[in-house]
Amino acid sequence: MARILVIDDNTDLLQMIRLLLEERGGHEVILAAEGEDGLRKALENPPDLAIVDIMMPGMNGYEVCRRLRQEPATASIPIIVLTARGQDIDRKTALEAGADLHIPKPVTMSELLERVNGLLDRGRTSPAIQLGGTIAFLSLRGGVGCTTLAVNMALFLAQQAKQNTCLIDLSPSSGNVALHLGLRPDPNWSALALLSTGIGTETIATYLLNHPSGLTILAAPFIPVIGEGLPRDKVLAALHALRHNFALLVIDLPSILNDATMAALEQADTIALVATADPASIQATIGTLQALKGFGEKIRLILNHTAPGQPATPKALERVFRRPIDSVVPFDPAQAQALARGKPLVYTSPNSPLAQAVTAFVPALQPASTSRSATG
Amino acid sequence: MEETLRTGWLAVDFFTHSYRISGHVDVRQRSLADILNDPTTGFVRLEDAYISPIDRPGDIVATYPTPHLVKANLTFAVVPHQEDALSRKQAYGRYLGTFLQQIFLTVPGFEIVGYLRLSSRVDLRRVLTTEPNDFIAVLDGRVRVSLRPDITFTGGGILVNRHHIGAFCVIEEE
Repeated sequence: MARILVIDDNTDLLQMIRLLLEERGGHEVILAAEGEDGLRKALENPPDLAIVDIMMPGMNGYEVCRRLRQEPATASIPIIVLTARGQDIDRKTALEAGADLHIPKPVTMSELLERVNGLLDRGRTSPAIQLGGTIAFLSLRGGVGCTTLAVNMALFLAQQAKQNTCLIDLSPSSGNVALHLGLRPDPNWSALALLSTGIGTETIATYLLNHPSGLTILAAPFIPVIGEGLPRDKVLAALHALRHNFALLVIDLPSILNDATMAALEQADTIALVATADPASIQATIGTLQALKGFGEKIRLILNHTAPGQPATPKALERVFRRPIDSVVPFDPAQAQALARGKPLVYTSPNSPLAQAVTAFVPALQPASTSRSATG
Repeated sequence: MEETLRTGWLAVDFFTHSYRISGHVDVRQRSLADILNDPTTGFVRLEDAYISPIDRPGDIVATYPTPHLVKANLTFAVVPHQEDALSRKQAYGRYLGTFLQQIFLTVPGFEIVGYLRLSSRVDLRRVLTTEPNDFIAVLDGRVRVSLRPDITFTGGGILVNRHHIGAFCVIEEE
C-alpha cells in the first residue's frame, strides 16, 4: 500500500480517482482541490506518489511540480501529471517541470492504476543507471525479438532511468517499432532520403514521433522501401543531428548488413547482438560474429527465449559462439499480447519476466570504456 | 466495457492566429461540432480557460474561469477523439458508404493534414462555398505551426473554420 496525493480542481474526478486507488489499488489517498493546498499537504506529510492536474485555478500543475522538486522532502517523489492538455508540447513542458509521467485525459481506470503501480514499483526496483551514447540492436535472423528488446530497453531508459532517449527504426522493410508502441509511423524517415539539404537538429525534429512515456521515435516507413533504404550519408547525418538533442540513441537495425546498418554499427558505442537458441539463429549469430570481428569490443550477446522450453543452455551456446553470453531473457507469454495492444511490458508490467530481464541487462550494455572507468 | 475517467465536459484546444486557448466545453447535450456549427449563437462558452501564446504553447500565461470565444475568429479546435469532432448525427453508425480522403489545408499561421470523411467524390467547391457548416471536421489531424515547424498538435478530430482556409488540397493516394 502506498500513500498517494491527488491534486485536481475537478471534484467529481477527484472522487473517482480516490475510489479507484482505494478500492482497486489498496492505496491510501489524500485529496486536494487546489495547487496550494496540495503543496501544503505534500510538505506536511510527503506522499509516496503525487498525481497532479495542470489546469487548476491559482497555482497550476506545472508550478506545483516545480515546487515539489525544489523542496528536499518531496524532491524525489514520483509525480504523474494527469491533464487535459495532452499535446506533445505539454508532455515536454510537464517533464521539464519535474513530472515523471504525463498522462492525457481521458484515461481508463485500468491504465491509470497500471501506471501508478508501475511508477511505484519503479521506485522500489530501479537500479542507478547512467548510460550515454548509442546502442544498436542487431540480429541477422528475423523473429528473434530484436525489436521487442530494443523497444523495451529504450522505454526503460526514457521512462525509468530518465534518460533523454530517441529510438530509431532503420528497417527498410516496414519496421515494427511504431507498432510495438501503438503509434502510427507518420512522420517517418522516408522523406530524409529525398532531402537535398543537410539534416540539422531542427530538420530532424520534424520527423520524430513522441510516445506518452517521454520516449522519442524516428520511425521506419510503413510501406517497404524498394532498394537500400536510407543511404549511408543520411544515416550518419541523422545520427549526428540526433546526438545533439538526445543523451541516448537506441537503434533497431534491419536483419541485413547494408550501408545503413554498417554506418549505424560504426557509430554505436555498444552493439546488442540478439540470438535465440534455434539452429537458424545460432548459425546467423556465428556468421555475424565473424563478419563483425572488427567490432568485437562493442558487441554484447543477448540470448532471448522467444518460445517456451528451448533446450540449449547458455553454457552450451557459449561454447558454440566461443564467447560469453552477456544476458539471458526468459520466455514471457505476455509479450504477444503486449505487441497486439501496442503497450510494451516495461511500460505496463514492470514486474513481468521480460521487463525484469531488460532492467537487469542495462549495466551489460554500458560501453566498454564506461565499464572500464567504472571498475577503475 | 473499459471505464474511462471522464465527465460531461470535453477538453478542447482552441486556436486563433496567435493564441492557444485550452478549456472545457459542456458537451452533455450536444457535441462540440454541433455547438460550433449552431448558427443561432456567435459565441462558445468555456470553463477554466488557460491561454498560451502560439510560439510558447506549453506556457500558461493567463487563466480565466468562464470566458466566451468568438466563433468567427477561431481558426480551428483540436479534440482528442474523432467522435468529439463529428455531429451527433454523424458520430454513430454512419460508417457504411463513406470513405476517408486525405487533405492538406492552410489557415493563417498553421498547416493542417488529416482526413475528411465523405460519402462521395470530394467536391472542393461544395466544401468551401456551399457547405452549411462553418467548421469542418478533419479526422486524425496533425497541425504544424508554419513558422515553428517543430511545434505540432495532433487530435482525433480537428474542427477547422472553413472561412479561414487559404489553400485546400486533396492528397492523392500513391
